[in-house]
Amino acid sequence: MTNDDGNFDKARRNFLRGLGMGTAVAAQPAWGGETMQDAFADFFQKDYRRMSAEEIEAALERIERKAKSRYDVEIDCQNTPPQQGVVYGYAINISRCKGYRDCVHACVKENNLGRDSQMQYIRVLQLDQGDFNLEHSDHYYEPETVPVEGKHYLPIQCMQCDDPPCVKACPVEATWMEPDGIVVVDYDWCIGCRYCMAACPYWARHFNWTVPEIPAEEMNTNTHYLGNRPRPRGVVEKCHFCIHRTRKGQQPACMEACPTGSRIFGNLLDPDSEIRYVLANKQVFRLKEDLGTEPKFWYFSD
Amino acid sequence: MRKSQLNNRALGSNVVRPLSPTYVAELRTEAAKYLPLAALLFCSALLSANAQESAEPTQALRFEGYPNAPVVSVVPRKDDLFFYPCDQCHAAMEPNPEIRPLNAMHDSALEHGRGRIWCTSCHDLENRNFLRTLLNERVDLDQAYLVCGGCHANRHKDWVFGAHGKRVANWQGDRTLYNCTHCHNPHSPAIKARAPKSAPPVRAGLELDRGTEHEKSHIWDSQEEHAKQ
Repeated sequence: MTNDDGNFDKARRNFLRGLGMGTAVAAQPAWGGETMQDAFADFFQKDYRRMSAEEIEAALERIERKAKSRYDVEIDCQNTPPQQGVVYGYAINISRCKGYRDCVHACVKENNLGRDSQMQYIRVLQLDQGDFNLEHSDHYYEPETVPVEGKHYLPIQCMQCDDPPCVKACPVEATWMEPDGIVVVDYDWCIGCRYCMAACPYWARHFNWTVPEIPAEEMNTNTHYLGNRPRPRGVVEKCHFCIHRTRKGQQPACMEACPTGSRIFGNLLDPDSEIRYVLANKQVFRLKEDLGTEPKFWYFSD
Repeated sequence: MRKSQLNNRALGSNVVRPLSPTYVAELRTEAAKYLPLAALLFCSALLSANAQESAEPTQALRFEGYPNAPVVSVVPRKDDLFFYPCDQCHAAMEPNPEIRPLNAMHDSALEHGRGRIWCTSCHDLENRNFLRTLLNERVDLDQAYLVCGGCHANRHKDWVFGAHGKRVANWQGDRTLYNCTHCHNPHSPAIKARAPKSAPPVRAGLELDRGTEHEKSHIWDSQEEHAKQ
């Protein structure tokens, strides 16, 4: 007992000293490797949409420091604002998708998803030709070569609905639609209740059960506050159209990785964009259109 | 109304990425077989190269385009070709228009067109450094899309407007497209089947569901049954 008391006293002394100094205390497991100051600032951090520019800047720096202590990687966390006059739309040519899953693995890498976390933003479904019942789909197909005779492939991810049911379900307003149409999550504001997962008809939201395990050399250092920054455990995540890339004019990682060119992405408000050409000239459909969630994600075949 | 200016702007080599690694590997292995022969012919061709160079100027063909077509540029590819310039060998050879089984370096079967087309349907007979369109115009190898579009007009239009093929790197700004021949082997254009990347893990506590447990029914099944009654 005396031993325990002694340890407790020591721990308390360290704690109080740290509190008194209010500065860097040596990395203690109890603080997750953060300094006391950062831990306090994290605790009192506001919702993204209520933070001032300075507060966001401070939050970005904290995120970078936390990534440094957690993964030993210098990341660059940005807050690229949405572009004026841009609403993103996506289309997939299902007659050209061969089910290679290159998009899935590019997404995992790009978005710093834990390699062991059992979570992927994109699923490629294998269905019988002529069958469009998603309950019959096989997510785990692993034949020698794809495409398999008599099957077709349907990649699903977040449809970035224009009337998103997940946003309505969130009790703390930790998720919302940005002006460029991307539905984002403030991972620091999310309480992990998973109501949004229940509300989403597209199985697009995923719960982070574990702290993502990522080898330091595979860490993507180009990150965004609302996108692929390292996330804590116990929050809901989703596809964000690679917000850190697309807001700078780059393609989403899944589109860049697709070897068949099935994926088409662009600005819905630009009449000359590829996506508008597809919508005007191809037979397009959306999944579960009858639910009225207005997905900005189309499928077509030619 | 804007006119399409499909030009052949030279791009930095960092954007030149052959899309299908299997296709490239195929070419490489095939090419490696003929390496000694190619080296020999290359040396002999070098001797007569200067005379040939100025004889055939590149006739850049301006593509007239479609109404309201976007301005696009195409990733060049001929520097990646192992045998290019073809003149290295063909300058020293007599053009032979006869349709015959090839036994030298180009012995791979021409699957494209299933026997309805022949080398000179696309390649220029007189100068093998160039392609040839249906209008008998000489076209650079980097403008292969003009030759492909001669038959595959719908695909070509989709490619120009962005519904077919692949754009390089960005969704905004200058449009740079991969050429048809980046993805499709022009001699065997169908995309080959290959192994998929690994399947997603089954979440802890859940069982593997292959979708086969569910009773499968098609809409037309019930209709057919209904028709029988």
